Amino acid sequence: MHPASGCSDAFVAHRLDFTTGTRLREISTYISNGAGVAANDLDNDGDLDLVFASVDREAEIFWNDGSLAFTSQTLDDRFGRGVTIVDVDADGWNDIVFTHRGLDGVSFWRNHGGDESIRPSPLAPRPSFTLQPLLGVDSYAYAMAWGDVDGDGDLDLVTGSYGVELLQHGIDSPAADPRAGVVLHLQQEGSWQAHVLDREAETLSIAIADLTGDGQPEIWAANDFALNDKVWQRDGAAWNIVHLFDQTSHSTMTTEWGDLDNSGGLTIFTTDMNPYDISPRTLAAWAPMMNQIEEHRAAGDPQVMANVLQVRDGAGRWQNQATRRGIDASGWSWGARYGDLDQDGLLDLYVVNGMIAADMFGHLPNGELVEENQAYRNRGDGAFDRAPQWQLGATASGRGMVMADLDSDGDLDIVVNNLRGFAQLFENQLCHGASLQVDLAWPGSANRAGVGAQLTLSTDKGVFRRDVRASGGYLSGDAARVHFGLPADATLRTLEIIWPDGAASAIMTPPNNARLIVTRSDE
Amino acid sequence: MTQNTLTHPAHLDVQAALPLLRLLNPKQYTRIVLASLAVGLIASYTAVALGWLPLWGATAMVLLILAPAGALKWRDDYRRYGATIMGLSILLTAQGLHTVEHLVQWAQYNLLYWTMRQSNGLLSPANAEWVHFTWNWLVLITVVLLMLGGMRGGWMWVLLTVAIFHTIEHSYTFIRYQMILRELTAMDVLNVTAQGLPGIVGRDGWLARSEWTRGTWICTIPGLTTAVRLDVHFWWNILEMTPLILAGHFYLRGQAAAGKFE
Repeated sequence: MHPASGCSDAFVAHRLDFTTGTRLREISTYISNGAGVAANDLDNDGDLDLVFASVDREAEIFWNDGSLAFTSQTLDDRFGRGVTIVDVDADGWNDIVFTHRGLDGVSFWRNHGGDESIRPSPLAPRPSFTLQPLLGVDSYAYAMAWGDVDGDGDLDLVTGSYGVELLQHGIDSPAADPRAGVVLHLQQEGSWQAHVLDREAETLSIAIADLTGDGQPEIWAANDFALNDKVWQRDGAAWNIVHLFDQTSHSTMTTEWGDLDNSGGLTIFTTDMNPYDISPRTLAAWAPMMNQIEEHRAAGDPQVMANVLQVRDGAGRWQNQATRRGIDASGWSWGARYGDLDQDGLLDLYVVNGMIAADMFGHLPNGELVEENQAYRNRGDGAFDRAPQWQLGATASGRGMVMADLDSDGDLDIVVNNLRGFAQLFENQLCHGASLQVDLAWPGSANRAGVGAQLTLSTDKGVFRRDVRASGGYLSGDAARVHFGLPADATLRTLEIIWPDGAASAIMTPPNNARLIVTRSDE
Repeated sequence: MTQNTLTHPAHLDVQAALPLLRLLNPKQYTRIVLASLAVGLIASYTAVALGWLPLWGATAMVLLILAPAGALKWRDDYRRYGATIMGLSILLTAQGLHTVEHLVQWAQYNLLYWTMRQSNGLLSPANAEWVHFTWNWLVLITVVLLMLGGMRGGWMWVLLTVAIFHTIEHSYTFIRYQMILRELTAMDVLNVTAQGLPGIVGRDGWLARSEWTRGTWICTIPGLTTAVRLDVHFWWNILEMTPLILAGHFYLRGQAAAGKFE
């Protein structure tokens, strides 16, 4: 890859030498759902590496050599769906975890580390990985999420199966299969205790976030088809379903959350299938498929076939404001992420889309619904404008997607795992604003990267909030590195960190345009 | 000492107070109308039960059987009151029946939880786009003719405005329906309907998606860019029926005062 450099006031697309779905003669449901991508530092050199899952071949690691140069390495994990890079065993080296299509569950690739004494030399041997069991984790897994959901200090895992795919693979009654469903795997000293939250699952995305504002994370399983999304809240050792939303997406592909207006309030965005373009040509392309889909109707059903943006009103109730904010339709949408792409202090939104399925779109060339990915710029008044000027409207069939600073220039780049096309890296050359990136380090902890920590950056231009994540979006894994975009002339006052166990740290006058590593010492 | 005077409430003559009821009363044709309705209902029920006709065909049959009785009644209106009042009588009757169609659709969708495709009312399954496009143009033309015939006033202008916008909405959906059919034909897709797609207002409609209106205050008006098409047109019909009734009421009252309507 030969990266462009400088400032072009747009994103520059680079092709990554990875494809998924190209070994199959034809793509049909549910191979069509593609696979994810994860970003995080695998070799502790400070650069964020990439791992791509593949529905029809082995996974691939892209070692970040700096300056957007990558060295790829095949990892013999086949037929993947989701992927995360997370330090499961808390040994200081990030591991790789996959979910899979079909009847396979979770695979755990343990990172054996490397020789840190000679880093960051490119000549240093890369860490090696071996496939090891996650003791007690035996569920079918399509989607997964990581977080310390029980507050005991270690990372827990939530998995969700995809019932229709299990049916395709000979499981006649997925809800009756003990390996199916939404399952919470609580880590207990290296082994895992499974707690079935729901036997029924068509789960495409799982979020672990504090949706109720009680200081504890809830679990949200986002389901495809007519099966309602469900949210569980912890009550001691029990997990109870809570009904928070009057309206949800119908076929929820992504759950994404963040503070859009820097008010301290969370908004939650979910994606669905809804054409962004209502021209007759586009609607004709969708029409045969829409005629096939049997609309689900039932009393009290909150589902609507559109993107949904949950925003709390004055009384604390969640309201869908996707239409009034201009983001209710972004095509056949898969991965969606918030990120301050233009570094003005406001979270923007990027959605990847498209569909390839000969059994649904046989009337279109190659069975493919071709759509442009949608970039939305946060206007700052609560609404979004489409941002074609950013040149992020790629027409490849995007599925998993992550945002991360891959060239260490401080702004967020974007990586997309496209189905039946080369993966793409969109290099951010907007060159706007400033940034602060933060890595948390919690040595001696079972959650060394502080996944779930809440970060609040106070500046003279506003107060910005982010959280540390290991997984998110559609089938994808987030870097634990937190990105704050800021107006260029912002003066940074304090960075406050609420760690997953509730402990607080504060950094006074953190530097601007820098990457900060905050190490917690409990001594 | 005070003297209490007991007064009896005046007898409320509904027909006198509501001239529209006098106009719509079939009078000497009541038996013919009722008999036609009974025959129509029995025949249509039989036809549907035996599978001879779809629901929309049976509904059309009822209307056809009622048509001669209606023609007699409206001829009588014409002889008694002239063309404008006859036109009002026809419009009220037809728009009333159209309201029934929308009520049925609304009940199918919101009470029975049928799907949008199933919630087609009684006559619309024939072809919702053609039925409503034709219907709304006829309504608009009739409203214009009534105004030319002397039926004017504030409510009539409201009705004309609503009818124009409603007709624009249906013309928009009808033209797009034809364009989508053409696109489908070009793709060799011949067995797919494109009926029932959003129009200008409502969820996924032009207002919700246009770059001019996306994310503006327009999208904050409840229902304007979020209501489903079926609800949108239910309310279009309510918006149209209400000024029609009020305009008809005040017009007939004026005509009665002038001795032109009894």
